[in-house]
Amino acid sequence: MKLICTQDNFKKAIYNTERIVSKQNTLPILNNILFEAKKGFLVFSATNLEMGAQVKVGVKVEKEGKITIPAKIISSFSNNLPQGDNVLIESVEQGIKIKSGSFKAIIKGVSADDFPLIPKKSSEYLLNINSIDLKNILSKEMVSVAQNEARQELTGINLILSQKEIFFASTDSFRLSESRISINKENINKEVFEAYINKKDSIIIPFGTLNEVMRIISNNEECDVKITIESGQIFFEIEETKIVSRLINGKYPEYKHIMPKDYKTRVVLEKSVFQNAVKMANIFASGKSGEISIKIDSGVKKIFIGASSAETGENSTELKFDVSGPSQEVILNSKYLLDGINSISTSKVAFLMNSESTPIALKEINEQTGEVLHDFTYIVMPIKN
Amino acid sequence: MRQALLMQKLPICYLLIGGVACFASVITDYQQVYPRFSILLYFGYGILRLASFLVYEIFMTNTELWQAVLSEIELSISKANFITWFKNTSIFSNKNGQVIISVPNGFAKEWLENKYNLYILRALRNIQEDIKTVSCIIAANQESTEKKISMVDAVVPSNNAFFREKRAPINQESNLNHKYTFDNFVVGGSNELAKAACFAVSQNLGSVYNPLFIYGGVGLGKTHLIQSIGNEILKNNPEHKIKYITSERFTSELIDSIKTGKIRDFKDYYQKIDLLIIDDIQFISGKEKTQEEFFHIFNHLYQLNKQIVLSSDRAPKAIQILEERLKSRFEGGMIADIIRPDFETRVAILRKKALDQEMEINDDALEFIAENIKNNIRELEGAFNRVFVSAQLSKNKIDLNYVKKMLSEIISSGKKKGVTHKHVIKTVSAFYDITETDLIAKNRKQEVVKPRQIAMYLMRSELQYSFPNIGDRMGGRDHTTALHAYEKIAELIEREEKIAEEINYLREQLYSIN
Repeated sequence: MKLICTQDNFKKAIYNTERIVSKQNTLPILNNILFEAKKGFLVFSATNLEMGAQVKVGVKVEKEGKITIPAKIISSFSNNLPQGDNVLIESVEQGIKIKSGSFKAIIKGVSADDFPLIPKKSSEYLLNINSIDLKNILSKEMVSVAQNEARQELTGINLILSQKEIFFASTDSFRLSESRISINKENINKEVFEAYINKKDSIIIPFGTLNEVMRIISNNEECDVKITIESGQIFFEIEETKIVSRLINGKYPEYKHIMPKDYKTRVVLEKSVFQNAVKMANIFASGKSGEISIKIDSGVKKIFIGASSAETGENSTELKFDVSGPSQEVILNSKYLLDGINSISTSKVAFLMNSESTPIALKEINEQTGEVLHDFTYIVMPIKN
Repeated sequence: MRQALLMQKLPICYLLIGGVACFASVITDYQQVYPRFSILLYFGYGILRLASFLVYEIFMTNTELWQAVLSEIELSISKANFITWFKNTSIFSNKNGQVIISVPNGFAKEWLENKYNLYILRALRNIQEDIKTVSCIIAANQESTEKKISMVDAVVPSNNAFFREKRAPINQESNLNHKYTFDNFVVGGSNELAKAACFAVSQNLGSVYNPLFIYGGVGLGKTHLIQSIGNEILKNNPEHKIKYITSERFTSELIDSIKTGKIRDFKDYYQKIDLLIIDDIQFISGKEKTQEEFFHIFNHLYQLNKQIVLSSDRAPKAIQILEERLKSRFEGGMIADIIRPDFETRVAILRKKALDQEMEINDDALEFIAENIKNNIRELEGAFNRVFVSAQLSKNKIDLNYVKKMLSEIISSGKKKGVTHKHVIKTVSAFYDITETDLIAKNRKQEVVKPRQIAMYLMRSELQYSFPNIGDRMGGRDHTTALHAYEKIAELIEREEKIAEEINYLREQLYSIN
């Protein structure tokens, strides 16, 4: 193997694959990244057998070949490489010689024969979502994913496909986030999509996979992300990077009936002010569940946010905002509420509720018209007194 | 599915086995009369043997087939590779020479199809020759076919997951487990009094036997009885406020309430209860603050004629580090003990279980279980379930021999394994609070004589040591000393209940050492 690669391409390929290597060492080769030089391309592959990534970059190949290199070493090397010169890679006995500008290294590797094969998709793409949109949605959804492995199906994000909309949902059974995108000509592959939703309309994508997708999108220019779903697997194509992952086996709980259809009381708040008040209350919140109380007074059109505990003392913040509907009082977990406020991407947020024991909701507000937007909903269960 | 297959192949197997047996006997007969024909008969016998072997192979279930394949592959590849690629695989279908293997992910699919294809095919062919192709399918696909039903089931409780916080208090209200009722409690000589007392309490709340104190060893039904009181009352008067709690939970609730400064609420809550049931009260020994709070709550409820029910593994006076005022209060009401069930009760319990499970089992087998598992009911149920489940899986008829086979392990190894004279000495000396050296020393101090004799008794009765051996272990005493000790304690047990109780307690202690 002998080739020359631009440093940008090299660094990006390493960045996009380094994290996917396996942490467990039953099969040591899974700690490595596969380098495969063929017909003008260098393909980097890495996998932990739950997911895999492949980055294909154009290079000048002088001699074809393949080898696997420990991800930790090659990524540290790449991170410390100063901007500039092209990278020259050449295979030597049991490893590679790598050269860029004045830096030179010989890294020991392992033969590529035992490296797992990365599954290839066999059908056309299903969805085609703008990377910025996808990033926004994922960053909102990843907050509510259950960290506890006790219920496998909650450790991923639920993707629901229907004729008109696509929903992303996640919940850890205390709070729930749901995002919606309307379907148009661009974002689906019509034929494949219609054939697909007849068979299956709901899948669960593991958190780890989406975390990696997020990381790669964030490091990339705006582009379209092509998503393909096959039996038990999902494929993401982000320009030259391909991600494949298993799907979580199981059925996601029906959550729609939990979301209230109407809300009696509505408060529209300035996001940053609300955020601050909750953070302040959090300091005084008691116990592990960080209980804070929110009191909405419709008479004086005010909202009181406060907390008290035996050790720290108590506080209260009084905010004047637009209140409609009857007065309410509710006790919430401050962390869950704060997570929800942070997920709101508009400058104003709608706080909606029915009673002290039913779910409360946070929604975004259209900046110009002041209307409540329904593309994103964050729901929290109140704490019962 | 596997059972169905078994059922299908059973008649064929029987037929063949019958045939083989028949031929075998014919051969021996003929050999004597017409020695020349016997060669022909042997030939026929051989064919039948072959046929029965083939039938077994063909009707081998997919699970068995895959097991065989895996054990063959395991030999030819490294362990790491084997674990990585073959974990959670199984045969999905096996039809017309096409085997489809279910694999957990796409990587395994690629790898098995491309790299290990030949290994698998070869191993499969060794067992089933007509297999032509092998392919893989990712396990997630199965949900559309057979797994569907179970998945729907799994989703039902999760529907409510979101409301878990809300729903919990309903169960927490009384904390009672509905499976414990008087109806399914088997009464025998050993628990008659306790059951009668509990029942009386459930009929006249707070007016008879207050507090009611039930004690007995592990797994004898204390929890069952005291929860039955609660359930019985809930059945008749659902509006009564009942709380069942273990003393450990009680303590931690108390600590929590002190931490969050809500001790007032804690007290108020407990002082409003109509029936307070505290399980395993012995665990509050040594916890002074808990005892104090409990004392106040106790007094308050008692004043208002509210019922209190307590359970413990020993009598109130045997609970160490329990404040005198509590001890005397515990003894003020009714104390009932539950001892180990006698043989008849054990048989009755087993019969009831068998009836509940609609299991056919003959009396010999039941009596065998009852005879051999004596220590507690939980163990008895364990043994019963073991027999029941294995019989269900293997479709065997349950008779004495089968039970013997199934329980041989429990009975022979079970409790007695690992307990030696050292444990006896340790347990006895700890119980009577004397040192181990004192116990085996050569003197006749008043306070060590009885414990020493008890130790010797236990060595004989529990470990079946010979008397000379016991003498040796107890500091080189004569075997007659050991014999005398054994006889003396055996006689004392008959006469003095206190000794019998102590021995029982020691016996439990002995076996709880691991």
